[in-house]
Amino acid sequence: MRLFIGASKGPKAKVDWADLIGRVASHGDRAAFKRLFEHFAPRIKGLMQRAGCSSDEAEEIAQNAMIAVWRKASLFDPATAGAAAWIFTIARNLRIDLFRRRARADRLRADSELPDAPDPAEPADAAISRVQDAARIEAAIKQLSTEQSMVVRLSFIEERTHPEIASLLGIPLGTVKSRIRLAMNRLRDILDEEA
Amino acid sequence: MTISHHPPEDLLADFAAGKLEEAHQLVVGVHVAGCTRCARFVQAIEQLAGATLEDFEPVPIAPDAFDRVMSRIDNSPEDEAAPPPASATDHDLPPALRKYRIGKRRRIAPGLSMRPIELSGSGKARAFLLRSAPGSRMLEHTHTGTELTLVLEGSFSHEGGRFGPGDFDYGDDEIEHRPVVGDEGPCVCLVAMTGDLRMNGFLGRLIGPFVRL
Ligand SMILES: [Zn+2]
Repeated sequence: MRLFIGASKGPKAKVDWADLIGRVASHGDRAAFKRLFEHFAPRIKGLMQRAGCSSDEAEEIAQNAMIAVWRKASLFDPATAGAAAWIFTIARNLRIDLFRRRARADRLRADSELPDAPDPAEPADAAISRVQDAARIEAAIKQLSTEQSMVVRLSFIEERTHPEIASLLGIPLGTVKSRIRLAMNRLRDILDEEA
Repeated sequence: MTISHHPPEDLLADFAAGKLEEAHQLVVGVHVAGCTRCARFVQAIEQLAGATLEDFEPVPIAPDAFDRVMSRIDNSPEDEAAPPPASATDHDLPPALRKYRIGKRRRIAPGLSMRPIELSGSGKARAFLLRSAPGSRMLEHTHTGTELTLVLEGSFSHEGGRFGPGDFDYGDDEIEHRPVVGDEGPCVCLVAMTGDLRMNGFLGRLIGPFVRL
């Protein structure tokens, strides 16, 4: 594995994030971590704000997510997940935790007579077994058309409303709905065929 | 274990994105943990999410963010370990459930009992374990909201088919359920429910108030 950045590969040049995470894991490589941080922290913050967090909350999630990247680097297995997907799941779980802690705090404030609550539970998805290798999942996703993966990303990941997506892409609202439906079914079919 | 009923794709995608409310996240999560087909789908959505993150427009972060992160790493390299010990001794429960505090069993009707699952209160749906005696015909009911059901043990059947361990059933206020529990043993389900169960008939009216938690 080698890094392509700086190697005048044009705008398509991609950094091998998995390799950088591996260096953090194997010898606490701070330079590698800094590059991960500089790329992902501002994007985690942006995506979290996009998904409804305040600027402060998004900043907190971004910093905590990067700390988790450092600490859990040795658990990252490039064979089961892409680096960016792995970092996304860390940030996502922190956001879930944050919302639950906030709800619990609100509830305690509203009713100070509530008994002490247990620590917030881990997100339920923490135990998902990684069964598929990342390469096959990646290959399956590539079979979606650009239009299909775009609507899935806008709708589910960026959490945009259907009318918003319609105006962003300049397509009728009905097309947004049917395209999402089609993309979901297609993805399921591709993955079923792969199995 | 052959799973034949899965959550709809948009629910799985919302799960992968972390958008579901807590009770739904729990029920879908327990299904996904035991279903390779849905785990694969969730992983595909996570992969798309990773691509979205990687391409996302960066926003300015605190100027000292990196230094703060490094000093927290240096000052407590191994903290936040020690996951909270499982409060329950129910070793027959799926691992995802053992992390929750589960209330005492309450009898709802002959052959029917439930145990509430304590959530953080961030969502509107409640979660509980529902246990029904083998061979019992469950109460005829409709919902005022949505109901996500995952079979953990035993089975039930209704108009939509037979549901065994790992099977997922999605109900909304359009559907009228009249499940019959299989003879092979008690049926234990993990349920996430918004709104109320509306019991139809005399017995339903009699026990209705208890079901409203
Ligand atoms: Zn499934």
